[in-house]
Amino acid sequence: MSETVVNHEPKTGLYVGVWVGLLCIAGLEVFLTYRGLSTRALLASLLTLAVIESAIGLLYFMHLKFERRVMMWSILISIIFVLLMMNQIWPDAYRMTKIGLR
Amino acid sequence: MSESVAMAEGLGARSEPSPFGIPSRKLTMWLFIASDAITFGAVLFGYSYLRVGTPDWPRPFQFSPSIVNAMVMTAVLLTSSLTMLCAVSAAKAGQKASSLKWLGATVLLGIVFAVMHLREWFHMFSEGWSLSRNPLGGPVAFGATFFSITGLHLLHVISGVIALVIVGLGFQVGKLDEYHVETTGLYWHFVDLVWMFVFPLLYLMNAAK
Repeated sequence: MSETVVNHEPKTGLYVGVWVGLLCIAGLEVFLTYRGLSTRALLASLLTLAVIESAIGLLYFMHLKFERRVMMWSILISIIFVLLMMNQIWPDAYRMTKIGLR
Repeated sequence: MSESVAMAEGLGARSEPSPFGIPSRKLTMWLFIASDAITFGAVLFGYSYLRVGTPDWPRPFQFSPSIVNAMVMTAVLLTSSLTMLCAVSAAKAGQKASSLKWLGATVLLGIVFAVMHLREWFHMFSEGWSLSRNPLGGPVAFGATFFSITGLHLLHVISGVIALVIVGLGFQVGKLDEYHVETTGLYWHFVDLVWMFVFPLLYLMNAAK
């Protein structure tokens, strides 16, 4: 079988640097949690950091950065599209708050 | 196999280069990861829907032991991703013994994560939490969403540990190669990636003030 494989293996030092960076972001999330932010501001901060963390994980740990661009975008666009479409639930969630459902 | 022979035998696709530049098994794993990411996305959106729509949502997690425990679990899982990367690098470099050692470390860290998670669960059970009970007297949806989502993630961790053991044994006896190790590693990193959303959304957003 002849499957053309693109192979770029990064150095271990890069992995260790990414690992330290991810640990620091997780620490920052905990720090922000106890800074007394409003629920909305905390959620926005934590979600932003989680997206940054997952992007770093995808690019470096899962090697998407070193794959062909067509491979990276084929996977990412489909996931992002579906997740964005799920955002249509929010008006109904806020409606539940207004009518006082328990 | 020359191209003409391949075409004559109807095996043209086997001689064509992959449009994505990766082996088919790796592409299959990526497709599984995409579908699983959407599954986790759906359950996290479901949790968020209930969280937003329930005014007196409980915040039961004290800094110690709950948040500290979750922080250690996060560090353990992130470290297991690093050891998994070392296992894949060693496997690709042809260093089988080193790769197996790193795979063993990854399995061990996965088990540590699972044990810590179960210990936390049993602590919560002892406080009266369950899928349908809230000992604080508020809405019961907290227990249902927390145990469902962390349970689904824990199931992935346990499945990953089993997969790593099977792939490690197959790699040791030569039945499986370095690409099997790499593909299993992709799954393991995905489990880590999901935790990056579970930790802030389920633990930090529910930390007691």
